[in-house]
Amino acid sequence: MKEFGLQAVVLEPGPAMQYLTGVRWGKSERTFAVVLPAKGDPVWVLPGFEEMRARELIHLGKDDIRVWQEDESPYARIVEGLRDRGAAGPGNRVGIDEAARFFVFDGIRKLAPQLEFSGAAQVLHAAGADQAQGAGRGGGR
Amino acid sequence: MEKARGLMRREGLGAVVLEGGTSLFYFTGARWQAGERILAWVLPAKGDPLVVAAQADAAKAQSVVRISGEVRTYEKDDAYEKLAQALKDRGAGSRIGIEERVRFAVYDGLRKQMPGAEFAGADAVTAGCRMIKSPAEIALLQRANDITIEAYKAAFATLREGMTQRELSGNIAAAYRALGVSGNAMAIFGKYTAFPHGSIEPQTLREGDLVLVDDGCSVEGYESDITRTMIFGKPTARQVQVWNVERKAQDAALAAAKPGAACESVDAAARKVITDAGFGPGYKVPGLPHRTGHGIGLDGHEWTYLVKGNTTPLAPGMCFSDEPTIAIYGEFGVRLEDCMYITESGARMFTKQSPAIDQPFG
Repeated sequence: MKEFGLQAVVLEPGPAMQYLTGVRWGKSERTFAVVLPAKGDPVWVLPGFEEMRARELIHLGKDDIRVWQEDESPYARIVEGLRDRGAAGPGNRVGIDEAARFFVFDGIRKLAPQLEFSGAAQVLHAAGADQAQGAGRGGGR
Repeated sequence: MEKARGLMRREGLGAVVLEGGTSLFYFTGARWQAGERILAWVLPAKGDPLVVAAQADAAKAQSVVRISGEVRTYEKDDAYEKLAQALKDRGAGSRIGIEERVRFAVYDGLRKQMPGAEFAGADAVTAGCRMIKSPAEIALLQRANDITIEAYKAAFATLREGMTQRELSGNIAAAYRALGVSGNAMAIFGKYTAFPHGSIEPQTLREGDLVLVDDGCSVEGYESDITRTMIFGKPTARQVQVWNVERKAQDAALAAAKPGAACESVDAAARKVITDAGFGPGYKVPGLPHRTGHGIGLDGHEWTYLVKGNTTPLAPGMCFSDEPTIAIYGEFGVRLEDCMYITESGARMFTKQSPAIDQPFG
């Protein structure tokens, strides 16, 4: 990330998340994401009622799991996570998983218009996490 | 498509861009999984739709435009150039709608070609159309629901002491195959029924366990989603009491789902039954840790949702799951889920509700 000028990368479930964190999760309409900062530990953002099931799977960064309840915004949690890791200042650059769905990115940018967003492909490629990045949609019903 | 165009005008969008997926299927009948090579469909507010596809996908892309529109192909690295040109040719202007599941890479490629343009979510257009089901769509949903009940009946007949949750899931999948559809189910036993989506812990069925089965199948793309929770053996008084509260909560949501009522009021009705029984409040466990229901159609979960904060009024043709859960971590959980469709005179279930803790089928 430092090499590519990014302060953090946001990943949705998919091959890159699985490769970098070991967490395999089905994409659904309920946002489940990990913020990987250039400095500091990962921040997980996930639905409140999935916390118990998620804790069975999350090992990397398990001390910072932030849940959102059904009537709350997952994006507020993601932006808080970016802020707490020093990645939400004006002009900071955040990489977005290229396979992330538009609504997830859109939710983040609406709450953090000061940020610059770019694709995280180069970082993920350099980290070896792009072997199976072609498919845009994961499992999960 | 005309309805979509009207919604676009209302939203001030000159066009909507979609990738392969359920929204593309909805509008065009084309089944296309978003893959490595970009395929984008453009529905402009004015003029014919068009598809931008790789040269290698040109033949397949014809299926996307069999109703109307044209295919434009790109060679190597000029997919976004071609897509931007297509939007320009259709007079889409500077405000473009992006379907919710379009991948960031596609949006990013397009915005680099159209630096002055504004890109906004197109949910008001796509969900605005998809939320209201036609009689033909409701008939397909009915068929999917009927098949799921048959598959569950067959699989529940195989319950036996010592069975693993994987074996029960496998039996449901096998029943679906025998019924000529593809479908799966999550099976959860005992204390793990308190986790709404189960646990990775291996489970074997014991006398006195609750058995929870959830998921559905797909008929011509239309999804079912049904949950049953039943006792294996003899229930305790506590299991019966909680099960009965759950059934009352499901009934309360059904009764509240009248046309014109706000989506959130349906959630509130079910939640009140559960809170009045001493659980919760809110999303607190023991209690109901999630919303009461979701829209259902070409996606198992889709707009709009029966959740606090959603003031969208119910309208005839909308279809929802009705599935409050009562989760008691360390003990057990109960969920009853049937799907309902809204009519002029109120909500109707696609399937007969479970009448009792030892009778999963009505």
